[in-house]
Amino acid sequence: MIKGTCWVADDYVMAYDIITSEHWTSPIDPEENSKIVMSGVKEEFSKENAFKDRGFTFIVANHNFAGGGKSIEHVITGLMGAGIKAVFATSFARLQFRNAINYGLPFLTSDDDMHLGCETGDELEYDAAKGIIKNITKGTEFTSVPVAPFVSEVSEAGGLMNFVRDKIAKGEPIQ
Amino acid sequence: MGMTITEKIMARSSGRDIVTPGELVWTDIHSVMTMDFLGRQCFDKFRSLGKTEVFDKNKVICVSDHLVPPPTQRFANMLNEWREVVKQHDITNFYDLGRQGIAHQIMVEKGHVLPGTISIGTDSHANTYGAVGAMGNAIGVTDAAVAMATGKAWFRIPKSVKFNITGKWQPWVMAKDLSLHIMGMMHWNGHLLYKSLEFTGPAIESMSMAGRMTLCNMTVDLGAKNGIVAPDVITERYLRRRTTDKWDFVKSDEDAVYDMVYDIDISDLAPTIAMPGKLDNTVTVDKLLGTKFNKAFVGTCTNGRLEDIATMAEIMKDKQVHRDVNMILVPASTDVYLEALQEGHLETLIKAGVAIDTPSCASCAGLHTGVAGDGDIVLSAGNRNMTGRMGSRNAQVYLTSPSVVAASAITGEITDPRTFDI
Repeated sequence: MIKGTCWVADDYVMAYDIITSEHWTSPIDPEENSKIVMSGVKEEFSKENAFKDRGFTFIVANHNFAGGGKSIEHVITGLMGAGIKAVFATSFARLQFRNAINYGLPFLTSDDDMHLGCETGDELEYDAAKGIIKNITKGTEFTSVPVAPFVSEVSEAGGLMNFVRDKIAKGEPIQ
Repeated sequence: MGMTITEKIMARSSGRDIVTPGELVWTDIHSVMTMDFLGRQCFDKFRSLGKTEVFDKNKVICVSDHLVPPPTQRFANMLNEWREVVKQHDITNFYDLGRQGIAHQIMVEKGHVLPGTISIGTDSHANTYGAVGAMGNAIGVTDAAVAMATGKAWFRIPKSVKFNITGKWQPWVMAKDLSLHIMGMMHWNGHLLYKSLEFTGPAIESMSMAGRMTLCNMTVDLGAKNGIVAPDVITERYLRRRTTDKWDFVKSDEDAVYDMVYDIDISDLAPTIAMPGKLDNTVTVDKLLGTKFNKAFVGTCTNGRLEDIATMAEIMKDKQVHRDVNMILVPASTDVYLEALQEGHLETLIKAGVAIDTPSCASCAGLHTGVAGDGDIVLSAGNRNMTGRMGSRNAQVYLTSPSVVAASAITGEITDPRTFDI
């Protein structure tokens, strides 16, 4: 069970705005990336650590979260470094959806237009086992679409690197 | 029940007879590409998996494209580290400054992608490889490291969407216009997310490899997993002098199942422009006639090929770039650069007042070679126009085809190449 406050996106959130172009060539590092994460999304997040300091645990978004076709992993490490434990959206852009799976950060689709039923600052409680998200502030409840077993396995291993490293070390086939 | 071309490629690459959309599989990778600004991190991660030798040193393709030639000391230092790590891993195919090109152009023109196989790259426009009937897929550094170690990557089998393209291409209307037209038609509202887009029909069969590359390239910007054109005689002719590897004409079955099928007649397709900020906010050129701009750019993995440069040269011959416009051309690769030189296009363009730079991603990645400053209005034949994409977040980028950029650069305002006096 994870509990914390959420930030709700009011429009498309582009990968470009989560990590702005001047930082694309920096190292992939949660601590470093988290300082500037979301800096292009809103003026209020433009200062160093501005998003991180708000202490959000969840993001709730509409369609195509982290879209715009950027493959850089800084987007995911930045969000993780800022304390984000799960993102709920109507849909995710493919590249960052994949990166999130590879890092074990839950990117969960919700069928309930959750972004319309939540406001920034609402307290949520996410039950990963049941796929239920409770909005404690509003007294409402949403469900997330279950993820594939592979996604859970990677998440439990702490990401694809650990998952594959373990298989290589044990001499197990990757299939 | 039949399979689509992408399903067949994923089935044969995962050692299965059949795959169905939604399934998760590990597939063999024909080649994996990485480039200068992410490559070192790929190799670092690769070694952290407990491996010292890549799965096949001929099939890990390394390219310097985003940072070359280095405009800053920081980039110069990053490139030095990159060269060191490529050397350390004894990589056969390293396209560094002097032999460089934009990675996706290099992958296709040097024969590193093959019909019926899967190739991946750590840059989003890896979808370009679909032009030769390969499954081209963009991935992150983590996936590249895993593929370098194992020769494999995981995929969810996508649902396929067919675009049946009919009609006759009109003069000065280009593949880019079709890409932008589809962008405007489908929007970013999730219809094409994770889907495999297959382009078929008479208008595709008559399309050059350059056009097919443009079309497949921008499928990533539609949110799709890949874009693909089944291999045919044009593919065979293109690949004959680029690879000695054997490959098969993998095609979709007659009874393959598609999630959606769209028919588009391109006979009436007009030059199309994406408005600054969002790619799916497109209009036809007539809506923007007379719009002033001060920077013009042709290049990138989308539109930096010989055919694009030839089109520009045809329009700009014996004319002059407008005095209020700066124009830059960056050919997509060294081979393209040389061919454009040999065919006299570069001379035509230099005489017209176009600045030409050595192949790189240039300002399309917002890193160097003509980046946008505050208040700049850019007319670009690149692939993205989001806020800040080409530099300043206070610049505006209109995206369009090389023919619109060329005609407009002469008049200093957005111009329809079909009515321009050539």
